[in-house]
Amino acid sequence: MSALVETPLFGLLLTLGSYRLGQWLYGRSNSFPLLHPFLLAMIPVAAILLWLDIPYERYRQQTLVLEFLLGPATVALAWPLYRQLHTIRRVWQPVLITTLAGAGLASGISLALAAWLDAPALVLGSVAPKSITTPIALEVIPFTGGDAPLTAGLVAITGILGALLGPPVFRLMGITDDRVRGFTLGLIGHGIGTARAFEYSERAGAFASLALGLTGAVTAALLPWLWPAISGWLQL
Amino acid sequence: MLDGLLILLVFQLAGEALVRWLGLPLPGPVAGMLLLLVALLGHSFFSDRVAPAANILIRHLTLLFFPIGVGIVLQWDQYAPHADALVLAIGAGTLLALPLVAGLLRLMLGKNA
Repeated sequence: MSALVETPLFGLLLTLGSYRLGQWLYGRSNSFPLLHPFLLAMIPVAAILLWLDIPYERYRQQTLVLEFLLGPATVALAWPLYRQLHTIRRVWQPVLITTLAGAGLASGISLALAAWLDAPALVLGSVAPKSITTPIALEVIPFTGGDAPLTAGLVAITGILGALLGPPVFRLMGITDDRVRGFTLGLIGHGIGTARAFEYSERAGAFASLALGLTGAVTAALLPWLWPAISGWLQL
Repeated sequence: MLDGLLILLVFQLAGEALVRWLGLPLPGPVAGMLLLLVALLGHSFFSDRVAPAANILIRHLTLLFFPIGVGIVLQWDQYAPHADALVLAIGAGTLLALPLVAGLLRLMLGKNA
């Protein structure tokens, strides 16, 4: 029995089963962001790993095949980007400026707040890519000195908060343009925000997918290059 | 499906090779993504084949990073001393960035509409 718990079969089955259960409950709740499968599946997985006394590092070894697929998944992001590129043909300038400024704001505000509370370098390096899609964020942290589990968790929570808070913010601001709602959800909340945007309309979803891809690409291209200067300002 | 996965892996390898060769400060898979975007714009060979694999990976993205993300709970004692900074950075940071980004795009689109 104990030997079976050591195999990848155990870790993968635990992950897939818990995730599927989370997905089912999330569907039953009409996709309420706080019941996202990322949060729900954590409960059985963490409980069972702790109960069976399996160290986190061993569980990660067992599920390495999923982690490996994050690489091809990043390359795959070219596909929605290609599909949606035509939607911004007439508005590419405002969209590009918003992407650059928005990616800077999303990352910069959080960095400044964390630095203000004297967060150490490891935390700042993990907070910096919090608004970009997880596979790209995990590829950026070797450059910023972040921590993988912390980054993956923060990115997911940012997406969930974005999907939760975006709609009331749009209502308060009187924003009904699906291009603005979609793009903002995708820029701030990456994949989870994009799923929320598709609930508005296909058009909002298209702009969100585009924002997800553009923000990821722009951040991945600029953050590693700018990080030495940023960490200098933050006096790391 | 298999064609699509092959294309994705070939472009990931090409991206990794390119950033190493040129010494670029860019993640290899992101370079692969940009190369694939150029290829998709250039020839229908790629767009005809990449969709099934790309869609399935993107649809289940959360599952792929879930095992890494569990660490935030299982290693929480490592992060707990910085809980205040994390909550403020993610909570307030997201709440502040949302209206700024939405407002900026609305302003920019208004000018260019």
